[in-house]
Amino acid sequence: MATTKGSGGEHAGATFSQDDDSVVVVIGSGAGGGTTVHDLTAAGVNVVCLEAGAYFTIDDWVNNEWEAFGQMAWLDVRTTSGSWRMPTDFPNLPAWVVKAVGGTTTHWSGATPRFHDHEWKARTYYGRIDGANLLDWPVDGEEMRRFYSIAEDRIGSTHTNGRAPLPANNNYFVFANGAEKVGYHFYATGPYGTNAEPYDGRPSSVQDGFNFQGDKSGAKWSTLVSEIPKALATGKLDLRPNSHVVQITHDASGKADSVLYLDAAGNLQRQKARVVVVAGNSIETPRLLLQSASPQFPDGLANSSGQVGKNYMRHMTGSVYAQFDRPVHMYRGETMAGLVADESRHDPDRGFAGGFYMETLSLGVPFLASFVEPGLWGPEFTGIMDAYANTAGMWIVGEDMPQETNRVTLNHAVKDQHGLPVPNVHFDDHANDTAMRNYGYQQGQAIYESVGALSSHRTPPYPATHNLGTSRMSERPEDGVTNAYGRAHDVPNLFVADGSVFTTGAAANPTLTIVALAIRQAEHIVKSLKAQEL
Amino acid sequence: MTSTQDTDRARQVLIRTLQAAFPHANVPRGPYERTADKLIADAAGNPFNQATLAQGLADLDALADGDFVGLSNADGYTLLKRIESTPFFGYVRRFATVNLYDDPETWAALGYEGSSFDKGGYLTRGFNDLDWLPEPRITAYEGPVKFVPIKTKTGV
Repeated sequence: MATTKGSGGEHAGATFSQDDDSVVVVIGSGAGGGTTVHDLTAAGVNVVCLEAGAYFTIDDWVNNEWEAFGQMAWLDVRTTSGSWRMPTDFPNLPAWVVKAVGGTTTHWSGATPRFHDHEWKARTYYGRIDGANLLDWPVDGEEMRRFYSIAEDRIGSTHTNGRAPLPANNNYFVFANGAEKVGYHFYATGPYGTNAEPYDGRPSSVQDGFNFQGDKSGAKWSTLVSEIPKALATGKLDLRPNSHVVQITHDASGKADSVLYLDAAGNLQRQKARVVVVAGNSIETPRLLLQSASPQFPDGLANSSGQVGKNYMRHMTGSVYAQFDRPVHMYRGETMAGLVADESRHDPDRGFAGGFYMETLSLGVPFLASFVEPGLWGPEFTGIMDAYANTAGMWIVGEDMPQETNRVTLNHAVKDQHGLPVPNVHFDDHANDTAMRNYGYQQGQAIYESVGALSSHRTPPYPATHNLGTSRMSERPEDGVTNAYGRAHDVPNLFVADGSVFTTGAAANPTLTIVALAIRQAEHIVKSLKAQEL
Repeated sequence: MTSTQDTDRARQVLIRTLQAAFPHANVPRGPYERTADKLIADAAGNPFNQATLAQGLADLDALADGDFVGLSNADGYTLLKRIESTPFFGYVRRFATVNLYDDPETWAALGYEGSSFDKGGYLTRGFNDLDWLPEPRITAYEGPVKFVPIKTKTGV
């Protein structure tokens, strides 16, 4: 269990009554929830934000991988099943996400590519694929362009809307030279969500290399350093950290009317609500909907489709770490400021549908030891570690297939610290995922071999940082949980604002798209509130 | 419980186990000793782990004809390979993978510099000091090749 102490305090901002049924309750304060909180309060809406984690500030963060992990990571018990490696390697850590104000934006890497237009229509362009529950999104690339542009400005993404690129760091030197040598064209140090130049009141990067531990300088965008303080300044936000939501209740008409949560002391509280927005990331969001089952919603709130918790996606991922005869010092500098986009296209001649990015990645010695090849020991393992200073690293991240059997369910056999059933995450790779990963490894190794790698290692997927799809958007209520605005098909004043609304995953890192969708959703909520439709 | 429990002999066998399982020419004895001591302390908090550790270390000595400590890293590795699927070795391996590599002396030996924000990051301390490859382009590609996002219009 993460600590409940953070120097941001036990409460911040306005104080609204728990009986005030005019407020919008937002559950979670990460990329989706934090953006929603910001946009609603900017429009004059009173918001109560319930965040399960503590309120840390950037001064609380530590440049130490395991210490930071213990401080920030969501470590409440979860269980795993399926043929992936997680049940063996990290059985209680299917996902590597954050429990704190700012959510997982406090440890995101920062890569901000947009979806390609065809990725909003995966079913149309990829066709029927056995075992894949593909569906076109109910929103498209044309519609999203405006919101992407706003989201890039919020984040301050480099390489977009006139912003400068970050300089090349050592890991990028190896990565980009290799990419050029193997014939790739579309590489650059971004788009990336950390300031190359001072922007939006925050400084430029000092290249400290600690991305996954919380950025102490404020150069990296997060809702913790941007949307939350701006929202608090409006006087319209009541931010309650250490508030773990356990149920969304509804009235006789089936509209959400309040949220039950456990406060820091473990006491059950009730906050009334006019509208509820859930943004708990793709494991906690379906868990909460399933936990909110009632006689009127026996299979879980908003689950008449049966799709809540299903189609869980974690992106096709893998890493390549390559050893050279000369120093690299990959850990110096912005961790993921380097992308190759050439393979993000859809080209079935490669043997799979969808595409992937290659992105620079570095782990420190503590994390590399645990993640480079879980379970490996002896001279083969120590050989990899001995080459640390001469190692370059990359991450391969691409679209994985939505499958109904990959799903989050409630595991009633195991209880968390509150006595609640824990979420179980079941996952099997689709054959398309495996084909893409093998091709990605091959191309990644080719990049490093072209600039003289002595050896390289194919590192398996980490606990997931990209968690998607468990409350997916769909045109028809029978195909998904939410509509084109992320509004639950079954509950008119219940919205989902995180990556769980993803109909399909695309190749791009999801944060930019989560923010863009939340901006679009907030605009819709404000309009609907004004029109008395909510 | 066996005779090695809480004895210096058990500690010495454990240190040799860690060295043979995670052999690094440049890592000094300190990190191995600290990892062993942390593991002994960790096991003390749980009777099952304590028994697993004590029995495992005694068995290693027995399998090495009474002197696991005297084995070379290579011979120690060969012996450990025989017992790698035991709960004892799994416990030692998992613990060492985290703790041996969370030691600043290990970091220094492997060439990792640890915290950096307190030193101003690497902006003026070598984030771009790689000198054996040319300076790469950092901006988006603007050449004649066009990115083609889809190979086919519809369907695979």
